[in-house]
Amino acid sequence: MHYVIIGNGVAGISAAFQIRQRERAARITVVSGESDYFFSRTALMYAYLDRMNLRDLEPYERTVYDRQRIERVRGWVRDLDAGRRAIRLDDGREIGYGRLLLAVGSVPHRLPWPGLESAREGVVHFVSLQDLAACERWTPSTRRAVVVGGGLIGVELVECLVHHGVEVDFLVRESWYWPMALAREEGDLIAEHLRGHGVRLHLDHEVESVVASAGGRIAAVRTSQGREFPCEMLGICIGVRPAVDWLAAVRTPPALGRGIRVDSSFRTSLPDVWAAGDCAEFPLPDGGAKVEQIWYAAKRQGELAGRAMLGDRVAYQPPLFYNSAKFFDVEYTTVGEVTRLPGDAVSFFHRFPGRAASLRLIEQDGRVTGFNMLGSRWDHTWFERWIHERRSMDEVMEHLHLAQFDVEFGRVRLDEARAAYRAFRGAARRQERA
Amino acid sequence: MTRSGARHWLLHDVKNRGVTAWLLGGLFTAFYLALYFTDWLTLVARGIGLDNKWTLYGALYTLAVTAGGAYVIRKYRHNRYQVVRTLVVIFVQATFAFSIPHLLKFFQQPEYYFSYFWPLKMDYLTPSYIFSLPLPFVLYSFLGAVLLAPLLAVLFGKRWYCSWVCGCGGLANTFGEPWRHLSDRSSLAWRIEKVTIHTVLGVSLLLTALLFVSWGAGKSHPELARFTAGFQSFYALVVSSLLAGVVGVGLYPIGGTRIWCRFFCPMAALLGLVQKFGRYRIRVKENMCISCGLCSKYCEMGIDVRSYAQANQSFTRASCVGCGLCAEVCPRGVLRLENARAVDPQEAMLVQIQGAPAARPLI
Repeated sequence: MHYVIIGNGVAGISAAFQIRQRERAARITVVSGESDYFFSRTALMYAYLDRMNLRDLEPYERTVYDRQRIERVRGWVRDLDAGRRAIRLDDGREIGYGRLLLAVGSVPHRLPWPGLESAREGVVHFVSLQDLAACERWTPSTRRAVVVGGGLIGVELVECLVHHGVEVDFLVRESWYWPMALAREEGDLIAEHLRGHGVRLHLDHEVESVVASAGGRIAAVRTSQGREFPCEMLGICIGVRPAVDWLAAVRTPPALGRGIRVDSSFRTSLPDVWAAGDCAEFPLPDGGAKVEQIWYAAKRQGELAGRAMLGDRVAYQPPLFYNSAKFFDVEYTTVGEVTRLPGDAVSFFHRFPGRAASLRLIEQDGRVTGFNMLGSRWDHTWFERWIHERRSMDEVMEHLHLAQFDVEFGRVRLDEARAAYRAFRGAARRQERA
Repeated sequence: MTRSGARHWLLHDVKNRGVTAWLLGGLFTAFYLALYFTDWLTLVARGIGLDNKWTLYGALYTLAVTAGGAYVIRKYRHNRYQVVRTLVVIFVQATFAFSIPHLLKFFQQPEYYFSYFWPLKMDYLTPSYIFSLPLPFVLYSFLGAVLLAPLLAVLFGKRWYCSWVCGCGGLANTFGEPWRHLSDRSSLAWRIEKVTIHTVLGVSLLLTALLFVSWGAGKSHPELARFTAGFQSFYALVVSSLLAGVVGVGLYPIGGTRIWCRFFCPMAALLGLVQKFGRYRIRVKENMCISCGLCSKYCEMGIDVRSYAQANQSFTRASCVGCGLCAEVCPRGVLRLENARAVDPQEAMLVQIQGAPAARPLI
């Protein structure tokens, strides 16, 4: 059986290794237009920061592909013919498949801001190796940059630019940083931290238009607030969307929604074609559909899709949500539901005095449902366990030290957090009685 | 890409095997060759009022550890493990490895380094030397080498020595900080390391055995005594001078800071074997690794930490010196150095919550 995988990101490679582990005899081909070898996309910023070489970003020694007999093909796929079971690359090469996995990932969002087309130089995203190359090309000639978009990639790009001595105006549409994941207090903490690093953070600013120089280099960004930010580089980090545009034009397109529609075993509408990772849109039990666009989900989905392609019965359900990030020096761990809560949810927030660190626990109907931790390290598996075991917030606060993962001698002090928690509960009880 | 400007170019060049790095490596190598094989440095020492080249070397070494240590403490000031560890490294170097031996000499006692043990310091189990010392020194040498060092390695891993006490590790972790990422982390290097370090350990054990035999029976077997003496000076030349000094420090800017510790040090080999059976481990948080590879890049022992982290595998590697930098640079807090307790924390939790209401079933 010839397994062909389009995309050598974490979903595609996880699937390839999964297949190889179980089927020693299978022929496996991985096709990528972006890079010759699997690399860690999440580490792009460390290459830009000069802490690593591009080669360091590769999680496996290059010999692994020969040892595991994984054939690598470099090229962008242009056509998919499910009738003839073949794909065609941009250089005309055809590859036949027995089973095909689409693990084609995401592309950055772009909005049709007036003036953007004429700015041919200095406008960057920060998602692919090619984006990194563009960033590195423009940085030396940049004194001021504007980064748009208050999410994770935006902050990463801002950190890199600051490192290279660029003055950064960071434009965020919302009234605090990243409301999708952080409550106001956490957003303020991060804002304070960013400003401490010299970032000019502008909240409630939406881009209205961009201005290019006569030579076509980006020159300024104008916002809805009527302000103009001069710049020589513009980073657009307003999210990503599944990379499916090319699929609409192939001979036999799979069913598309926001992403490639799959069932809970990652099967697309085409026979013997599966999809996984950022590009897959799978059904939820409540009738909705979901696209998961984070590293952990892509790794998990890739492994499971690999199993499904081998013939295992797979019924994917996204597990309890968790994620991690780092905003300059502040580490972030989250588990469960922490934003968009019902009105009766109890939310306990504590900021550790004297350091950029905080914790937030959410309780609904007497049981803990979410954690949002900044600036200290936690073993999220304890949080998951407490949520699954439906522990109350009282119990969790009492045992919170078990989940601490800070370095030796460096744990945050929980006694203050616990005292604050008792005061918080006492106040709530008094309010109830009154 | 590198940041623009001459200063950034220099910083990048010296840290990434550029021209300046090679020049610096040549300078370090020349320094060690001059130190071990000439008396030029004695002239320098006398010129500034010190009694010999070794005192000058000790002073320079202590200066390098202190200055590098200050840099490291500043760089990692948010990480208390690094701050505490580096303070201890500086303290041990300034006292046990520099002032105390000189004080001992001043009080007509043997110049003894309490921070060094056999088999790193072969003298300390060389019968003809050690039995010439007063009894407390003899006891410390024997108990330190065969009892204290391995016992502490069982409890805390070899880091208690290699990253907290030892002068070689101390220099690597302070002065050598700019070059820690240069260690080769290929699996080939790992295979070579296993052969070389255990070879040196074997040779050092053999030499020690010979030294004892020849000390006991040398008078009646002069050819054995001669052979042992020759072996001893060969070992001193190749291992203690060339490998530990010239190669070990001379190649800092080219091959990274722990070449000696990783490929040759018999003490590291011995404690590494003990460590495999002890409590020390690097714990990996489940499913949190993003495979970025900073841990592997900044491991001075060339361990591919990422391969364990992305496979959700807590691990103990014999070569790990427990410097803690993998945990420091990890952007997702996936790694934690720890001495696994006898009671697993999960079991402790089960005991603690028995009084609490039982978990309600899911759905």
